Amino acid sequence: MMLYLRLAWRNIWRHRRRTMIVVLAIGLTTSMMLLYQGLMAGFDQAIYGNAIKVLGGNIQVHALGYADHPDERPMLPIADDLAAIEAAATSPQVLAATRRINTGGMVSNRQGALAVGIVGIEPEAELVASLVGQRISQGRFLTAADGDAVVIGQGLAVALEVGVGDRLTLVGRATHNQMRQRTMTVVGIYDLGMAEIEKATLYMSLAEAQSLYLAPGQSTEVVLWLRDLGQEAAVIRELAPRLAAYEVTSWKVNFPELTQTMASKGAVMDVFGVIMLAIAGIGTLNLMLMAVYERTREIGVLGALGLKPRQITLLFLLEGTLMGLLGALAGVALGLAFNAILGQVGYDFSLYTEMTSYTALIDGRVYSTLALDKAPQYIVTAMVISIVASLYPAREAARREPAAALHYV
Amino acid sequence: MKELLKIAYRGLGRNRRRTLLSALALGLGVALLLMMAAFVEGEMRGSLELGIRLESGHLQVRARDYDSSKASLAWEDLVQSPDVIAAQVAKLAPVRAAAPRLYASGILLAGDESLGVRIVGLDPDSATTGIYREGLRGGAWLAADDREGVLIGEALAAKRNLNVGDRITLLVNTSNGDVDEQRFVIRGIYTTNTPSYDQSNILMPLAKAQAISQAGNRASLIWVMLDDMFQAEAVAAALTSSQYEVKTWEQLNEFVLSIESYSGAMMAVFYLIVLGITATVVVNAMVMAVFERTREIGVLAAIGMKGRRIMALFLIESFLLAVIGVAMGLVLGGIIVYWVSTRGVYLGDLVADMGVTGLLMGDRIYGYLTAQDATMLVIAAFAVTMLASLYPAMLAAHMEPVQALHGGEA
Repeated sequence: MMLYLRLAWRNIWRHRRRTMIVVLAIGLTTSMMLLYQGLMAGFDQAIYGNAIKVLGGNIQVHALGYADHPDERPMLPIADDLAAIEAAATSPQVLAATRRINTGGMVSNRQGALAVGIVGIEPEAELVASLVGQRISQGRFLTAADGDAVVIGQGLAVALEVGVGDRLTLVGRATHNQMRQRTMTVVGIYDLGMAEIEKATLYMSLAEAQSLYLAPGQSTEVVLWLRDLGQEAAVIRELAPRLAAYEVTSWKVNFPELTQTMASKGAVMDVFGVIMLAIAGIGTLNLMLMAVYERTREIGVLGALGLKPRQITLLFLLEGTLMGLLGALAGVALGLAFNAILGQVGYDFSLYTEMTSYTALIDGRVYSTLALDKAPQYIVTAMVISIVASLYPAREAARREPAAALHYV
Repeated sequence: MKELLKIAYRGLGRNRRRTLLSALALGLGVALLLMMAAFVEGEMRGSLELGIRLESGHLQVRARDYDSSKASLAWEDLVQSPDVIAAQVAKLAPVRAAAPRLYASGILLAGDESLGVRIVGLDPDSATTGIYREGLRGGAWLAADDREGVLIGEALAAKRNLNVGDRITLLVNTSNGDVDEQRFVIRGIYTTNTPSYDQSNILMPLAKAQAISQAGNRASLIWVMLDDMFQAEAVAAALTSSQYEVKTWEQLNEFVLSIESYSGAMMAVFYLIVLGITATVVVNAMVMAVFERTREIGVLAAIGMKGRRIMALFLIESFLLAVIGVAMGLVLGGIIVYWVSTRGVYLGDLVADMGVTGLLMGDRIYGYLTAQDATMLVIAAFAVTMLASLYPAMLAAHMEPVQALHGGEA
């Protein structure tokens, strides 16, 4: 076996030009597949990343039994929320971990009433990660010390005809199902360019929510804000031992509509990816076929020297595998370089579309992600393709009569 | 020239497998491009069509200050005597149907939860309500004089576990800012195959909606359907009056149209990647073929063929290859696109893109390939193949006859 490996290695360097062509083909196609993956993840981040921030962060920590509760956003206080935050801070992926009271209720004034999500937050801690705090268009964002203060969305402000300084009545359901009502002042308005989303949620300080919902010192949710979309599963795994006493779920569980939309689009894009792979595979097969037929005479010599067809097949298979490996490595290196460059520079879409002026939820600039996790997959795929592609011509070549093969021009 | 064509054709025919595989790679590439274009265009069309059928109609006649995201019920924001106006509009030749609608925001009380919903008051007998009537899944359609019946969406019924005949409580905002509370009976369950819409829209007869929201004989807008949607501008011009404004579907779906340009820019990058992969595959096969045929090129050069002619020969070969490949791609892509356009791709019953990307999305996407996209992509595939074959052709043209004749590995 070692002998064949050495022979194969020497052979691929003897035909340097041919090897370069094959390696280049595999390398370039692999790198472009990686670029495709990286860009797709980048688009997901641009289109859904901000939505996840607005909807409530990457990972949610709740009290045990939260998910099975019949209510959608139950007032179920977390037993030791500060311990959860401490644990979360140990992961380098976590940008911030904040406490929330997340529940629903009604908001009304003389214009009418609307059902809304009411969220008590730690404003200072959330500011680094949350889009709402960064997109205040009028007034100011909350502070921890705020009592009689809410921040509402532009859509809600229009629907209820209120501005900064106006008052709204909130009705909500506290722990033990008591109905609670309070009239509060609007101190700030956030604008995401999406009326439907802005109408859905209003924010107040955690302390005020605790007093409104009769939950002194408590919270119902700890949100972990991550640096990168897509790292949720890894972070949950990493923190699992420390957060055993809580229900830890990612946005994938908590916002199922978003997950399914992304998943079904991802499935379609994956089908496209498989077809690209097929194109690359056909190309590799073609090159391998050519490479082997070019060497018919050499095969004749090997046969004349007494190598059995099986041994010749093995030799060519090894050569194919080695070339596949070289190509895949070159491709991954090149692909990662492409992605790294696009990850730094970004691709500015706002040049081609006015859409980003409509909504803050979609980024105008797309940064490719590194797709490092996909790299092994591509190395294996490229190698499998080149093994399969070299198997057929190798067998055919090996079966030739040495004398006839020797006469081949 | 004819000679060259003949030689090129023979050159391709001599190594049929290679030609076929290269053409197949190119064909797959073209087919993939067509599929991608059809998918994206289909999604946009689907979304625009849903927008028109569910949110905008082809035209809307409404008060100047009306803001649809606010669902205002103040009298000055509403259309007076909507029946009269609708009847007038319906008389115009290009108009298929016109009927008043009233939108009010409300809250559905279900158990301990309150759910924000929109009340849609519509004329049950009008042809403008076809989409709901066709999508009736259980129970009965509304009667115009029904005083306590509503239709709810399938998605809402499933989420809240509601059935035909169940009673629900609705809080409805009214014109003077009060909130009216009333119990209703679910007469039927509809679906528009758009889960996000079905979850939040409750239908009731216009007369009842006017009564509960205290709008009197007023409506939010007149919903107009045309026989040909591209007549919208002309009809809008004919309808414009000092009192009301007329909005066309293009104005009302500006956002979807702007998303289309975003998707277009995004897909352009993916097209380039596909073209890049295809070109790499084709070029490498060609370069390999040029080296394999070194001896042949040497003979051609030795009998006096100029470098330029040799280059032309190889370019013609790639041209023929491109023709075969693109033709294969068109056939293959055509079949797939036809299949996707008629059968659709199922996305699942939870999709609720509205709000996140602002797209109204059905649970199924139907492909749609425009002639423009197809032409552009075919030309691009062709051009990229030809450009890419320049290098191997030049390689062949620059070979020294003597060295080439000695052939093989240099």
